[in-house]
Amino acid sequence: MAKYILKRFIYMIVTVFIIATLTFFLMNLLPGSPFNEERTTNEAVQRNLEAHYHLDEPLVVQYVLYLKSIVTLDFGPSIKQPTETVNSLLGRGFPISAELGIWTILIALISGVALGVFAALKHNGVIDYIAMTIAVLGISIPNFVLATLLIQQLAVNLGVLPAATWSSPQHMVLPIVALATGPMAIIARLTRSSMLETLTQDYIKMARAKGLSPAKIIVKHALKNALMPVVTILGTLLAGVLTGTFVIEKIFAIPGMGKYFVEGINQRDYPVIMGTTVFYSAFLVLMLFLVDIAYGILDPRIKLHKEGGK
Amino acid sequence: MKKWWTVFMGVLLVAVLAACTASESAGESDEGSSEGESDSGTKTLLLNNGEEPTSFDPSQGFDAVSWNALNNLMEGLTRLGKDHTPEPATAEKWEISEDGKEYTFFIREDAKWSNGDDVTAGDYEFAWKRLLDPETASPAAFLGYFIEGGEAFNNGEGSADDVMVEAVSDKELKVTLSAPTGYFLNIISNPAFFPINESVATENPEWFAEADSFVGNGPFALAEWKHDSEMLMKKNEEYWDHETVKLDEVHWAMVNDTNTEYQMYESGELDTSNIPSDMAEQLLDSEEVSIQDQAGTAFYRFNVNEEPFQNKKIRKALAMSVNQQEIVDYVTKNKEEPAYGFVSYGFESPSGEDFREHNGKLVEPNVEEAKQLLEEGMEEEGYDELPAITLSYNTSEDNKKIAETIQQMFKENLGVEVTLENAEWNVFLEAQKALEHQLSRSSFLADYADPINFLESFTTDSSMNRTGWSNEEYDQLIADAKNEADEEKRWELMYEAEKLLFEEMPIFPVHFYNQVVLEKDNVSDIVRHPVGYLELKWADKQ
Repeated sequence: MAKYILKRFIYMIVTVFIIATLTFFLMNLLPGSPFNEERTTNEAVQRNLEAHYHLDEPLVVQYVLYLKSIVTLDFGPSIKQPTETVNSLLGRGFPISAELGIWTILIALISGVALGVFAALKHNGVIDYIAMTIAVLGISIPNFVLATLLIQQLAVNLGVLPAATWSSPQHMVLPIVALATGPMAIIARLTRSSMLETLTQDYIKMARAKGLSPAKIIVKHALKNALMPVVTILGTLLAGVLTGTFVIEKIFAIPGMGKYFVEGINQRDYPVIMGTTVFYSAFLVLMLFLVDIAYGILDPRIKLHKEGGK
Repeated sequence: MKKWWTVFMGVLLVAVLAACTASESAGESDEGSSEGESDSGTKTLLLNNGEEPTSFDPSQGFDAVSWNALNNLMEGLTRLGKDHTPEPATAEKWEISEDGKEYTFFIREDAKWSNGDDVTAGDYEFAWKRLLDPETASPAAFLGYFIEGGEAFNNGEGSADDVMVEAVSDKELKVTLSAPTGYFLNIISNPAFFPINESVATENPEWFAEADSFVGNGPFALAEWKHDSEMLMKKNEEYWDHETVKLDEVHWAMVNDTNTEYQMYESGELDTSNIPSDMAEQLLDSEEVSIQDQAGTAFYRFNVNEEPFQNKKIRKALAMSVNQQEIVDYVTKNKEEPAYGFVSYGFESPSGEDFREHNGKLVEPNVEEAKQLLEEGMEEEGYDELPAITLSYNTSEDNKKIAETIQQMFKENLGVEVTLENAEWNVFLEAQKALEHQLSRSSFLADYADPINFLESFTTDSSMNRTGWSNEEYDQLIADAKNEADEEKRWELMYEAEKLLFEEMPIFPVHFYNQVVLEKDNVSDIVRHPVGYLELKWADKQ
């Protein structure tokens, strides 16, 4: 197991390095520069700006400087917000995005699994249809539409919740609901189908025949296996939601880090692009790694297979 | 089975209840505090800045998100008044030499920094030289090129000592310009020319980064700054004119989505808001709308190096087949003024005439003449058929609508087919600067309040030219205007230059910009200048 983890860890580092390098060169292939303005630009002013951010150096030198910044975990100042460093932007935005993300995942997971299980148990019954209708709606209504609807109804018309910003628990309700609905629907559908499959397995019939209580059968025997597909998607889902979502954060004016992914690219703010990409990819790779370990714990067959494979 | 159900429902119920109680109690405390504020009579204006200010370093944040706020935290020698003309601010008075090049400013005795220090001439000298220092890498540095020695210092040829700005005494500042510049008093109201408290800046070079360390000299002081989420300004009791300031506090949210902004305005969380474009029609006639001019022009550039636009008559024909009035009435629908010239309204000549009114309509929709010109142009070039034309714009819904309308107008009025092409903003701009487009969408917003700022865009070596058009006579007119001390003559030169521009037609205008905002009835006297930044000095809220 330790050997396996170490090996995976080295793979992780290599993956992040490759992503970082690709991003650096792709970014420099993009036409335009952070100082590209529609307004009249003055040559001396442009030159001073480029010198200030080392953009006048050869690409190789910039690449080395950039690798250094990754190793030292210091991405330097943002070009578009010159009084801030990329680290401080991420340091400020990530906890907020993560807070929103954790609540989102928790609520999506609890309600999604619950919906899926009920639907599977009452297969083709009324509850199944209601649950799956909710799930289909959840998947097909984009979260920004839902967000705007929620604001219009609950904040503007009824006035029970604030329309936007991020300062108290009540400000968190609408964005969390808007963001959690999609993942909840996906989880509900996954849980339902794998639950249905599991319930027809021989060992469940066996458990029934032994006279175990239905609750025990479901929680102890069926659910554990039925949740495997959910665990699979949880890694990417976590990385995606925890590092912020551009649209929801924009609509609710949440000061998370989602906007830096998009705006960094639009503005060609090179340090911000690099900082967010490295951060996100490291986070994603780490989540996938954790999911793999979780497999091993949940399903002994997988662990055996992998160890046997080496 | 039943037991299992009950457990699950129980957990869900508890979770829901917990969420509800949390938000209810939070709601009460929140409402309680805001009611308390209005009871004690604190006037708090609720504004939205859109996003985090780029920087409150006066030399860095060259954009509206920084300078709209900064303009109320600090003050230059002059400030633009309600009539958009410069009036004495930190400078009590000034003297201008005969040749219009030497300015001597006298700073008020009672001009103080928010920490109680005196505002001195030395603070200005320090700030202006810092603006021009190549090490500072200020994007606004070129505004300081009007000062003798400023350009040389910034491009590395000169030194700080050669910049002709000097603190003669604590309260007297002498500035020498490289050419007589009638609008210099207007330019220095710009935040790039705000003073910097030298002792504060020496002690803490990052003084502008946080509310605690920020030291200003304007009507308001920065009380709180939660980065990326909100700012709170409080009336600055050290400000020399604090008796004029009526608001106690200004709260700035940072909401970067117009729909959300509007919804917050509707629910009373904001006092002003922009108008979401899809609601413009129903909101524009409401009484809460305020429409102000903005000095700027939406226009299209011909590339005179590309066929068929090397031909003046063909350029003119296309320009005359565009109906600006229809575009603002049915496409943009934002109550803009249609543009029949390049310089926008609001610039008054020494004799009190508006530049635009005086120079009149230099291009007007005229289908018959356009057809005639197209025919002549094609004959001159020996075309049987017009070479293919591509019209380019940067990707946005609004740009697309205008581009499609113009495409339609060319087709209907002249039978000319053009292909539309769009690209991401930075890609588009790069191509436009490299003269890779044939016909492309553009916009201009004035950096300082004088027609010359518009017109200098089309001199041969201007980075704003981007048309390939070069005209010696035009270059000469602009150069002469920049060196002319006699205002009457200077305006004549500018009138002439704009006429020549439209005689040659390397561009065609679409509309002038405006600032359309919703503002609650109980809010008054927020001043928005055509060129300049938000003024809250006189603002009030009932």
